[in-house]
Amino acid sequence: MTEASLIGLLEATVSFGALLYLAALGEMITEKAGILNLGVEGMMAIGAVTGFVVALQTGNPWVALVAAIAAGALIGLLHGLFTVVLGAEQVVSGLSLAILGIGLAAYMGRGSVGQPAGAELVPVDWGPLSDIPWAGPVLFQQSPLVYMAVLAGIAAWFVLGRTRLGLAVRAAGESAPTTDAAGHSVAGLRLGAVATGGALAGASGAYLTLSITPQWTEGVVAGRGWIAVALVIFGAWRPGRVALGALLFGLTLALKTRLQTFGVDFSPILLSMLPYLLTVGVLVAISIRSRNRPSPAPAALGIAYRREER
Amino acid sequence: MRWPVLARRDQVLRGGQPLAFGVGLVVALAVGVFLLLGSGHDPLRVYARMFDASLGDPRAWSVTLNRAVPLGLAGLAVAVAGSMGLWNIGAEGQIMAGAMGAAWVARIGGGWPGPVLVTAMLAAAVVGGGLLALGPAIARARIGVNEIITTLMLNEVAIRLVQWLVHGRWKDPGSHNFPLAPMLPDNGRLPTLFERAHLGVVLAGIVIALFGLAVSRTAWGYELRVAGSSGATARYAGISLKRKILTVMVLSGGVAGFAGGVELSGNADRITEGLSNGFGFAGIIVAALALMRPSGVAAVALLFGAVQIGGQSIQTMGVSSSVSTILQALILFGAIAAGVLGRYRIQMVAGDTVETPPTGVES
Repeated sequence: MTEASLIGLLEATVSFGALLYLAALGEMITEKAGILNLGVEGMMAIGAVTGFVVALQTGNPWVALVAAIAAGALIGLLHGLFTVVLGAEQVVSGLSLAILGIGLAAYMGRGSVGQPAGAELVPVDWGPLSDIPWAGPVLFQQSPLVYMAVLAGIAAWFVLGRTRLGLAVRAAGESAPTTDAAGHSVAGLRLGAVATGGALAGASGAYLTLSITPQWTEGVVAGRGWIAVALVIFGAWRPGRVALGALLFGLTLALKTRLQTFGVDFSPILLSMLPYLLTVGVLVAISIRSRNRPSPAPAALGIAYRREER
Repeated sequence: MRWPVLARRDQVLRGGQPLAFGVGLVVALAVGVFLLLGSGHDPLRVYARMFDASLGDPRAWSVTLNRAVPLGLAGLAVAVAGSMGLWNIGAEGQIMAGAMGAAWVARIGGGWPGPVLVTAMLAAAVVGGGLLALGPAIARARIGVNEIITTLMLNEVAIRLVQWLVHGRWKDPGSHNFPLAPMLPDNGRLPTLFERAHLGVVLAGIVIALFGLAVSRTAWGYELRVAGSSGATARYAGISLKRKILTVMVLSGGVAGFAGGVELSGNADRITEGLSNGFGFAGIIVAALALMRPSGVAAVALLFGAVQIGGQSIQTMGVSSSVSTILQALILFGAIAAGVLGRYRIQMVAGDTVETPPTGVES
């Protein structure tokens, strides 16, 4: 194991971690408001294809990123329309959104398969910081989306935990009727959270096609949307813990292609099961612990609220 | 300022779910017209080809029926759990687990007579699917772990397990280093009924009918539905929830596993990591459209089979196969909207005041 390959591993860990964190943060905000959106995989696919196609057409990666974020929010709002406005079953709507998003992304990207990227988000230049041994390449030569993920995490922590808006969002996820009685619009809060979740999933998808692998193929999201859903539970609905989980799961993604170079005789396929198994383990642990104390999950998660029926 | 809100209708619009389903289909096809025009295709010709290829002649029917088998069984698996208010999102992985069980039996039973081998394969498939559901079932029944996420996570695990086997232990030495399992022996194949259709069509029909009867006509099914609508009522009536959750989840997994065994033995050459092919997820849509009733699952599965087979056939016209994926999701979204509008009407209300519904509803 050389120093260069270890730095490469850490660099990829941070990069994959940020990819997962963006999407997981969005799902966390959505769930905090009481809406379970299992469509992350589809929303990421929409973000990925939108980013790539707009980059091809405009040649500007930032325009492409904004478009991907908007597309993610828009497709997320479809889930909002069905679950918040029409009160449909959240599991069914979310999984259908996953299928629709993957299909729609394949349709939108059908002419872009195999094309070279129109634009890429180049790593941020931090000047002398980038030259620090170890920390330079790992922390200060990353794609702008990595730093955006950090900022988004801090913003989510601050808004959810320290502001009135955040309190209202969390209240909507704990008890919709109480929130309503307190004079907040549950539908508005939930739609906002779902749209934010979609926007972040869109950004995560765009990170794939604008930075990590600048090309479009149908399976580009490759199950990372499901990992993002898992991360929210793994991180017990807290921005900081989700970030730690994202780095851990990011490490397994980064290790997958590097096991052989490190001379480790372990199947990368078995390694890639780890995030899912860990999440099941954490879920079991949470349930055992919450016999004595409250579960970290939002109490009204998955429960539709019809204002006119209160 | 006036806002549109949904108000419960005094009477649910007649026609119910079949009508909502029809509306969903129309909505999906209408959106499909725009998608097809957008990619420069003649929608009428494409739809005509889809119909011909899926329902146009006996051969087309046989292919569609074959496709409806895993969709219907996966839908049944979801519906069985759903009739008790449980979510089995893990059919995708349980199909894989079932196929693994069946493939393992086929590896050791190459010399057995056909009927023995196929029966053993299908039995192993049921066990495989049931085993994958056992963990989430115990976790839910004993300590109340949310089964939505555990079953969802195990999908990814099961698919990777097949990938691992196919890349390693089960790799065919004669596959020139391609990660492929060996071909299924001929005596491990389900017999053919007509054209392409295999015996699995009949088996799936029987299983769906049996579960339909069990859920709607037996005391067991009644208890299931009571437990699904209210856990408190069920406990009061002396129904053991823990045991019910356990048996229903494992049965649900077993049905999905059976789908994997039938798909392997009837339709596939060998076990591959793509065998489950989204059937488990489509099964959730199928079950939702059938309102979690096993009786409705077969009809919806047939239509979804037709959409999928039709969608494959238009690839030769240069139409992206994604169009059929999009259609399937849109059928569901259209049907949900139609179903809601059948039960509610849109009412304009002023500002913050909300009129109370006419029928003192308590939610």
